[in-house]
Amino acid sequence: MFFEFPFEIPYLLTLLLVVPLIGAVATLAMGGERQKYAKYVAGTFSGIAMVLSLVLLFTPDLSVYNESYTWIETAGVRMSYILTVDGLSILMVFLTGVLVFLSTVFSAREHDRPHYFFALLLAMEVGLMGVYMAGDYFLFYILWEVTLIPMYFLIAWFGGPRRHYAAIKFFIYTHVASLVMLIGIFAIVFGAAGGGTVDFSFAAVLAGSAAFSTTFQTLVFGLLFFGFAVKMPIVPFHTWLPDAHTEAPTAGSVLLAGVMLKMGSYGIIRVCLELLPDGAQAWQMTMVFIGILAMVYGAYACIAQKDLKKMVAFSSISHMGMVMIAMACLSDIGIQFAVFQMFAHGLISAVLFMVAGAAGHNIGTREIPLLGGLAGKLPVFAAFMMFGFLASLGLPGLVGFWAEFGIIFSFYEYTVSIDMIWLIAFCLITLLLTAGYYLWAAQRTLFGRLTTKIDLTHIHDLSRPEVVALGATCALIALFGLWPDLALGFIKDYASSLALTLGAV
Amino acid sequence: MMMFDGSIVTTIFGEFTPLAPMIVLILGALVMPAVFFASKRRSAVAATAIAVILVSVFFNILMMVDGYQGGYADLFAYDAFSGVMILLFQIVVFVTALVSVSSSETTRMHYGAFNSLLLSASVGMMFVATASDLITIFLGIELASITSYVLVAMKRSDPRAAEAAVKYVIIGGLSTALTLYGLSMLYGVAGTTNISDIAAALSTQDFSWAFGIAMITMIAGFGFKIAAVPFHMWAPDVYEGAATPVSMFLGTGSKKVGFVALFKVFLVIFAAASSTAAFATEEMQYIFAIIAAITMTVGNVVAISQNNIKRMLAYSSIAQAGYILIVMAVMSEYALASGMFHMFTHVFMKGGAFLIVGALITVGIGEKISDYQGLLKRAPFLAIAMTLFLFSLAGIPPLAGFTSKLFLFSSAIYDGGVMTQWIWLAFVAVLNSAISLYYYTRVVKAMLIEKGPSTERIKVPHTFTAAIVFCLVFVVLLGVFPQLIMDFCADAASVLFGG
Repeated sequence: MFFEFPFEIPYLLTLLLVVPLIGAVATLAMGGERQKYAKYVAGTFSGIAMVLSLVLLFTPDLSVYNESYTWIETAGVRMSYILTVDGLSILMVFLTGVLVFLSTVFSAREHDRPHYFFALLLAMEVGLMGVYMAGDYFLFYILWEVTLIPMYFLIAWFGGPRRHYAAIKFFIYTHVASLVMLIGIFAIVFGAAGGGTVDFSFAAVLAGSAAFSTTFQTLVFGLLFFGFAVKMPIVPFHTWLPDAHTEAPTAGSVLLAGVMLKMGSYGIIRVCLELLPDGAQAWQMTMVFIGILAMVYGAYACIAQKDLKKMVAFSSISHMGMVMIAMACLSDIGIQFAVFQMFAHGLISAVLFMVAGAAGHNIGTREIPLLGGLAGKLPVFAAFMMFGFLASLGLPGLVGFWAEFGIIFSFYEYTVSIDMIWLIAFCLITLLLTAGYYLWAAQRTLFGRLTTKIDLTHIHDLSRPEVVALGATCALIALFGLWPDLALGFIKDYASSLALTLGAV
Repeated sequence: MMMFDGSIVTTIFGEFTPLAPMIVLILGALVMPAVFFASKRRSAVAATAIAVILVSVFFNILMMVDGYQGGYADLFAYDAFSGVMILLFQIVVFVTALVSVSSSETTRMHYGAFNSLLLSASVGMMFVATASDLITIFLGIELASITSYVLVAMKRSDPRAAEAAVKYVIIGGLSTALTLYGLSMLYGVAGTTNISDIAAALSTQDFSWAFGIAMITMIAGFGFKIAAVPFHMWAPDVYEGAATPVSMFLGTGSKKVGFVALFKVFLVIFAAASSTAAFATEEMQYIFAIIAAITMTVGNVVAISQNNIKRMLAYSSIAQAGYILIVMAVMSEYALASGMFHMFTHVFMKGGAFLIVGALITVGIGEKISDYQGLLKRAPFLAIAMTLFLFSLAGIPPLAGFTSKLFLFSSAIYDGGVMTQWIWLAFVAVLNSAISLYYYTRVVKAMLIEKGPSTERIKVPHTFTAAIVFCLVFVVLLGVFPQLIMDFCADAASVLFGG
């Protein structure tokens, strides 16, 4: 590491939960006359949280920040408050810190009840950070569910015209999935305890997981996988996502696509793969096909979309499908790039959703057929949109390229090993489709003749906070694109040790 | 605290110590009408009732903390299990007495009689919790039931209340008859009415039809009390018709009496360490498992289509009874502890929801879900509190309902490291939780998201606010620190199982 943070901040991980929580309460208090200060309060607290998450990146030995306290101990059951960050979660924590701050900046012009709006963003940060840091299944599940409620209200209070429907659909789909996951968690936790004290901590369950039979692993893998994968999402349980995205406010979409979808793939790696290697082997082919289905179907559906935001939502499904096939390889490089793609897609989808949101605000419509020739009229907007599209379709030099490159590489390795090399064709089809729908969308919105279908007198280019937020995200995309090792360095050790576990079966 | 240990209770009550919390309440019930007659003021009656209840709580807590154990005349036995259950009934009656004084639905009642009946009903419930004999169980149930009929009928201003009371009496009478029939059959088989003696006597016997009939009729009889499907029809009508504080009292307290009786009779006979009646245990578990699955499903599915919030809460209560019935299917110590804990959290969350309904009725807001539109603007505290209560009922973490469901459902999956055969029941329960989220969110949506016709601020009576805050504190606290109550429940369960 070229730079090391010079001193240790006590209780850093707890602070990452407490700072946004206090921020949420403080922002909520900015009602009435003080509404115009809500964004500054929220910006300060999410800024502090971002800086704290940044400190983690420059800490050589993350284990110094582990925290562990017994929380509930009763009737032979023990739940603990354990926070820990490792190679798998550190990038996600960083991503959460950055995106919450930037989406706060991006939404600085929010005028409708801003104190509620920003408080919900911060409340969501508590849950998101917590999911990635939790080291105990009880805590993990609580925080997993905690993310739902702010998102529900973000959509239902600040969303588009069909917000009620979208909010309820989002809530019920993901809650049902969580409940299935909960049964899976019971199974692993109680199974690992084997009649002794039932300890919910990751470490204790991992220690007890040696006793899991193959049948048990296969069964439970299915439950947990379903719970996590609906969040990712997987086809055919993806229909909540386009609706939620279309109706959610921009900041909500950014966090939904940027960080919340990653909870699903994070859970699959953290719980399913780490604990149930036999189950992973049994489900490998299914994961591959689910991944291919999501990847191709998502890209294919993009072509048909008229709403810019809905198109970006379907492209998220496609990109998360790539994460799935990378994980399904169960190899060192596959896991490495699955995590890298999670990180890369987090940044890129943030840009895309910000651009789509800006189209809604600044132009008044997100309907692709109504737009056209905007590049001359709105140069800054067009530049960011092109940048986002190119990053997402995997332009070399940007972060998405490395992710897709690595994923296809690992998938190729895997298809060769199982003698089904033709599967790689699906990746190529996806790449073609992706390039196709992005370039086509860009052509129809930015280039060609200036549209006459909408009133052009009121459109305006991006405001300063929007430029700042977009610029910062794009800078990160370029930074990690030019220097992917900066991110991969964190994942390497984790991926190779996990691959050892998976290969050992 | 040196002065106040269990010995103070024994000094005062002597050989009646096991009944101390109830004796206080009986005395209170007797003086209530006199207080009302002398003072003519509702607040004086309420203050006396609350003081009496607090004294009773005080004695009970001293006995619980002291680990007091003792019996009276082979009919009553106070132990850790009784202590915890008595505490639950005390909480219920405390909250009911607190809010009924300012509820608009009780203004036309004779308030002294109301409180007297309320205290008597709670004494009946506590009798069941301390009973060690079939006779006293029956006595307690009857005392609680008959006073409850009157409490429902006392809301004379509303014809729905009269209808509810008549239904309640008829169904209650049927349930009593069935229970009594079952108890007498059981006496015929075992030759004794003492519960632990019955368990011992059965160990030397084989399955007989008389025993089977006794069990089935008792399940039906108690099933009416807990409103398990198919014995649930009365509950929505009664909850809707009664004054809301009374609905709360019935929904959170009276229902638990049936469970306590079920635990006392069935768990002691079939599952406790002293029990050797191995025959028919599995059949019994299956019967309860099926009733549990049907009860929770019917409760939740029917709740979806309700537009009256009291009826919706009634059906949700039925569903919650289905969850608690998991205990009777699994019949393990951990399941019992979890079930008891869920009974506590249910008191706070369902009680809290009923309190808010009652508070809003008092200020003139209707019982329809559509009446709750835009409540966030009119009464932010009530809207947020109601959201928390409903989310807790749906099992959203980190609220109490989540934690207790987590314990309860997990007990159906694993028992001492071995996967139980009841895992399907856990699945059904989890699916039901998901269904329930739908109708709870409808109310939340109406309150927080939809716009109402009026934005005028609402001010509810202080006693309601206090009671709601009381419930809210526990809904949040028990979600995060379940051990506050769960430890007591675990002790109680181990006592009942003879561990």
